[in-house]
Amino acid sequence: MRLFQKTNFNFIKHRKIAYAISLLLMVAGIVSLLVRGLNYGIDFKGGSEVVIRFSKSVDVSSVRSIIGQAGVRGSVKQYGMERAVLLSTDYHGETADLKGLITRALADRMPGNPGEVVSVQAVGPSIASDMKWAAMKALGAALVGILLYVSVRFEIKFATAGVLAIFHDVLTVLGLFSLLGGIFDFMPLEVDQSIIAAFLTIAGYSITDTVVVYDRIRERLRGQKPSEYERIFNESMNQTLSRTIITSGTLMISVLVLFIFAGPAIRGFAFAMFAGIVVGTYSSIFVAAPIVFDWQQRSKTAIKLRGAS
Amino acid sequence: MKNNRFKLILIAVVALVSVWSIWPTYRDHELSRTLSAFRSSEDSLKFAIDHRAEIEQARDKSLKLGLDLRGGMHLVMEVDLFDLIEQKAWNKDARFQQIMASVRSSAATSGDSPVELLAAEFKKQGIPLSRYFYDIRNSDREIVDKLNKESQDALVRAKEIIRNRIDQYGVAEPLIQTQGARRIIIELSGVTDETRVRKLLKGSAKLEFRLVKDHESLLRAIDTINSMPAQGQVVTAPADSSVAPALLAGQAGAKVATAPAPGRKLSDMIGVMKNGLVFTPEYARDYVSAMFKREDVQARLPQDTELLIAAKPELTEKGEKFFPIYLVKKSPELTGGVITEAKATFGTENVQPEVSMSMNDEGTSKWARITGANIGKQIAIVLDGAVYSAPVVQSRIPNGNSVINGISGLEEAKDLEIILKAGALPAPVRILEERTVGPSLGSDYIQAGLMSMIWGFAAVAIFMVFYYNKAGLAADFALVLNILIVISVLAGFKASLSLPGIAGIVLTMGMAVDANVLIYERIREELAEGKMLKSAVDAGYSRAFSSILDSHVTTLAAAFLLSQFGVGPVQGFAVTLMIGTGASLFTAIVVTRVIFDLLVGSGFMDEKSFG
Repeated sequence: MRLFQKTNFNFIKHRKIAYAISLLLMVAGIVSLLVRGLNYGIDFKGGSEVVIRFSKSVDVSSVRSIIGQAGVRGSVKQYGMERAVLLSTDYHGETADLKGLITRALADRMPGNPGEVVSVQAVGPSIASDMKWAAMKALGAALVGILLYVSVRFEIKFATAGVLAIFHDVLTVLGLFSLLGGIFDFMPLEVDQSIIAAFLTIAGYSITDTVVVYDRIRERLRGQKPSEYERIFNESMNQTLSRTIITSGTLMISVLVLFIFAGPAIRGFAFAMFAGIVVGTYSSIFVAAPIVFDWQQRSKTAIKLRGAS
Repeated sequence: MKNNRFKLILIAVVALVSVWSIWPTYRDHELSRTLSAFRSSEDSLKFAIDHRAEIEQARDKSLKLGLDLRGGMHLVMEVDLFDLIEQKAWNKDARFQQIMASVRSSAATSGDSPVELLAAEFKKQGIPLSRYFYDIRNSDREIVDKLNKESQDALVRAKEIIRNRIDQYGVAEPLIQTQGARRIIIELSGVTDETRVRKLLKGSAKLEFRLVKDHESLLRAIDTINSMPAQGQVVTAPADSSVAPALLAGQAGAKVATAPAPGRKLSDMIGVMKNGLVFTPEYARDYVSAMFKREDVQARLPQDTELLIAAKPELTEKGEKFFPIYLVKKSPELTGGVITEAKATFGTENVQPEVSMSMNDEGTSKWARITGANIGKQIAIVLDGAVYSAPVVQSRIPNGNSVINGISGLEEAKDLEIILKAGALPAPVRILEERTVGPSLGSDYIQAGLMSMIWGFAAVAIFMVFYYNKAGLAADFALVLNILIVISVLAGFKASLSLPGIAGIVLTMGMAVDANVLIYERIREELAEGKMLKSAVDAGYSRAFSSILDSHVTTLAAAFLLSQFGVGPVQGFAVTLMIGTGASLFTAIVVTRVIFDLLVGSGFMDEKSFG
């Protein structure tokens, strides 16, 4: 079976449209980040999350009022699992006290439907700020590392454009999290450690995709005149298009399976990955290579590429 | 073909090693199924005894599941090194306290070593460290080195003591390791009583024997304090954040402990009974305890004394709980360092559990002198700042024995025994992060993980055959080998598989076929240009190689960084992703290549086999 046989899209010609779309996405993301901010999980803001599972189906609002009356400030939501609710609170003291308070209050007020605390996660504020730092360092190091590697394998223009594309992808997904955060009960879209894991994986995937396009460009570019570059860029992108789409396809299948089957703890991660794959695939075709092309046109020198093939 | 023979042997070896590494996991699963299938417990016991060696070996070598899948506790604890530093300092004045307070608050948001933070603050204020630490002739650098050494020792000692306690409590395969300059990570699986474990880990077990002051002094002290205004609330009163529980409970956003209403008079919270016993009711205990630690309160007390509250309440006739208050000497007569043996028992005269202790030679002779000099007086046995009992000394005790009573249950006595035997922590610890997953949720997660692996594999495998025909089958074979390698490496290196780890495997399935997609697309192109099948396959592999290498290196780099910076759950994901990416480099370039060489040569594949 073949989906993309002998395509002949003129990507370079229409690159300004792609730039505009990308700019729009990023500006929308930044505005949302500034206005709505991010919905941080307890990993990064500190606090406690308690999952309570009941033996029968339960009305979330009545659980909310019972827990509220017991003196626990926080939000109670349906957890993405049957008969379970999730309590999130800023509390980060003795989890035993919190657990006892909840268990007692529920046993008193809902004797017919006993609730069991199946999971408690509590993160203190100092460790939360440490984790934030570690996450930023990891992302920063990933970007620098990729910049260096691609510079060595290709050249600085390619590397910079690739890193810009990653930046674009992560920013767009982050913007999406800001826009949609807290809207859906089945996936709160909180930014926690697993989302950082998703960002790093997206960064790796995005540059993978980009590098495949670059690789083809490099292969075709050898010994050609700069006037031929536009044609070569276009042809290379068309030739790799099928591979790009198929790979994102198989990866999307995996991520979709995770989203559906792996349970609520993985759902936010799967969503971030899905969005990241879509944006990452788009950016390797419409952002990274066109930027290299534009940069090339301005500098007006022939591309000197390293690396064998 | 010679080249292929080597590759074939390599593939066979990899596959065999993988199966060999996964085999115990399969056996373990089978054996536990057999065990649970027996109707009577006698049969299953007999089977277990007969096959003991095999069962144990399989269990030891099988793939370990992460805490989130089998249920357990993950804790990050912090050793309060500032407390240690304060212990080391002498000549502590108001200036010193002020500096310590500011360093503490800056440490709350920084992961730097406390000693470095302290040194920086002293430098900023222009005070030499030698004013408070060690010898006056020491340079700042020397003192920083010494304090750093002390801190490192304290962290390692704390880790060892915690390991001791956990071992004695009895948890299978605990994982205890230090992280950074002041943290300890603890992973415990299958813990049923989390509250007890938490208490066991946190108890600093600072045992002290202190002289109780006479009754008149206590009444006078209470009178003085009762006349003081009851300013402040529980939330703000403990200015000294060195008290870990007060810090945690005090800053709580959610209101858990019921604090007495502000504006209440102090005399409402401290009472004197007809028989002269001074007490505080249960509801006011936390408040009164925090107040006793206030400096302005302590300043009103007689020289070298301190007010302490009993650990266990007594009951009035109406069943109300109240805690006796004691005025004790601030400097202890003897500390828990001299304890060599501790044993939880039941007391002779009643059924109350107690812990009997014996001391080393030095302690024994001191204890004999102390008891001999204080016959007829009370000596309080103080554990972590609470009075457990305050018996009246009847006679000189020559043999170094002593007893803690006033313990509420046998369980608590057992825990005390463990803590006393393991020794006191060098500095207080507190829990920074805690993740507990119950076993029922864990089995749900296992189910979810299995489902996603099965569906993930099925979907990707079917797609590949659908899109690439016979070549897709080769890719699927490589995929199976890839998953085998990931699981066997995890099992072989005794790494555990968590839910994020499973997510990493599922994601790897999607990514691993990328290398094959790259090659197949290239082969299709070469075929479209009219090349012969054999040369098209050759060209496809050699031309796609550069892309495959670059893409794998970048993915590996991202996963590696994640495993370095990420903590806990995320690390499991990063590790499986790394192994999976590495394995896919092997399966795509070596394994499928050999398959094609063999199949193309035998005529099983033709130009149409690539879809």
